[in-house]
Amino acid sequence: MSDFEPKLVCFSCRFGWGYLGDQHALSAQIKNWIPIICSGKVDATHVLDAFKHGADGVLILGCPAGECHYQDGNAESKKRILLLQKLLDACGIDPSRVRMEMSLDPEGKKIPGLVKNMSDTIKKLGPVKMV
Amino acid sequence: MKYGTKRGETEMVAKPKVAITWLGGCGGCDEAVVDLNEALLDVTNAVDVIFWPVALDFKYHHLEKMADGDIVLSIINGNVRNSEQEEVAKLLRKKSKLVLSFGACACFGGTPGMANFRTKDDIFNWVYRDAPTVVNPQGNYPQVKTKVDGKELTLPAFYEQVFALNQIIDVDYYLPGCPPPPDLIANAVTAVLEGKLPPKGSTLAPHKALCDSCKRNKTKPQRIAIKELKRIHEIEASPDTCFLAQGVLCLGMATRDGCGAVCIETNIPCRGCFGPVEGVKDAGAKTIAALASMLDVQNDDEMKKAMDSIDDLAGYLYRFSLPTSSLKKRRT
Ligand code: SF4
Ligand code: SF4
Ligand code: SF4
Repeated sequence: MSDFEPKLVCFSCRFGWGYLGDQHALSAQIKNWIPIICSGKVDATHVLDAFKHGADGVLILGCPAGECHYQDGNAESKKRILLLQKLLDACGIDPSRVRMEMSLDPEGKKIPGLVKNMSDTIKKLGPVKMV
Repeated sequence: MKYGTKRGETEMVAKPKVAITWLGGCGGCDEAVVDLNEALLDVTNAVDVIFWPVALDFKYHHLEKMADGDIVLSIINGNVRNSEQEEVAKLLRKKSKLVLSFGACACFGGTPGMANFRTKDDIFNWVYRDAPTVVNPQGNYPQVKTKVDGKELTLPAFYEQVFALNQIIDVDYYLPGCPPPPDLIANAVTAVLEGKLPPKGSTLAPHKALCDSCKRNKTKPQRIAIKELKRIHEIEASPDTCFLAQGVLCLGMATRDGCGAVCIETNIPCRGCFGPVEGVKDAGAKTIAALASMLDVQNDDEMKKAMDSIDDLAGYLYRFSLPTSSLKKRRT
């Protein structure tokens, strides 16, 4: 297990995360980084598709509660993630493999650290078994 | 392509051969064919039913002797969970021009597909060891081969998981429902006999969602706000109001239309036996977005309360379709 490198997909809201940072430099640091317009765009289907295509974890970065540009996209996404975690758990996939962080980071400096942090947790869990 | 003759017409050619079988099913789908009543007479007049284990005494070796493609249509219900079911499915595929995946179990795994929430070991340990009604001091488990009095007895191998029919063989058409309703069965059989079939791979049922044809749809509020979900037996349900407006999870919005809203008519919410609407693979994942938007919660505490009010969400959303969902089964 020690040489296992988890594959993480990171969706982040463009309004809250990394919009002032150097996109190319950030992209080089963060594998599978998908900036989107509003974290509310992330549907359970996208997260399950990520797992189906070999992801070991999915990190969603949204704006703080009450600060969504589209009223409540971040809150919707959060609810979906909590519901989805129940389905993952029922299928023996640790719910901590999907995480949502609600905060602001215009420079995007925190993103690589958050990804690393989650990778470390997932490293202990091992890969998601494909069936 | 036209098969067979109409009732009363003189027969110049041999009647088209039709096989009906059950794999991992409950018999309800076979019963649904019988329930065609008089229409069944028309069907049996137009075709030769050459294999139907529930109703007729034919053996597998009768099928084996037939030429490949000799059967015009095989109507297969039930899922595949063991080696015998796989063998029969493959044999019928070989001998048939068309295979119709019949009922929720064949199309998506069905209710027995919920067994995929447990591993095979869990199931065997419970059924043969741990269930309170089991007395098995010698720890006997079913074996594929056993010697008894010098003779070898065999049993089909029980697979690790439940498969839908199209995960085992190529399927031409799908007819969902638990079981499919008589009008759609009659339409499907007539379409085959008259050669008026849609493109291969089609589901022989409407494309829209059940909500579209549900009489209660007009009572569905613009914005549904649910604090806690209720189960149907916990409320005195109104017979006319949309279940969602009553705080009961109804899966009509993510379920294919075609059943005639039979559950709704008996004041029971839809549980999704017609499977996802056209173009959607995973009805459970789709329902999550809809359900999330209906949960009227302002903070973590309220969300927790709402979540706790949902009994077995995974079982509810994948009651008929776990084997064909993205997650498919429990990992060990
Ligand atoms: S689809 Fe329903 S009626 Fe048909 S075999 Fe499965 S459980 Fe029985
Ligand atoms: S949610 Fe259920 S009760 Fe409401 S309109 Fe749809 S099918 Fe009918
Ligand atoms: S209402 Fe839903 S569960 Fe009931 S028969 Fe129709 S599709 Fe199936």
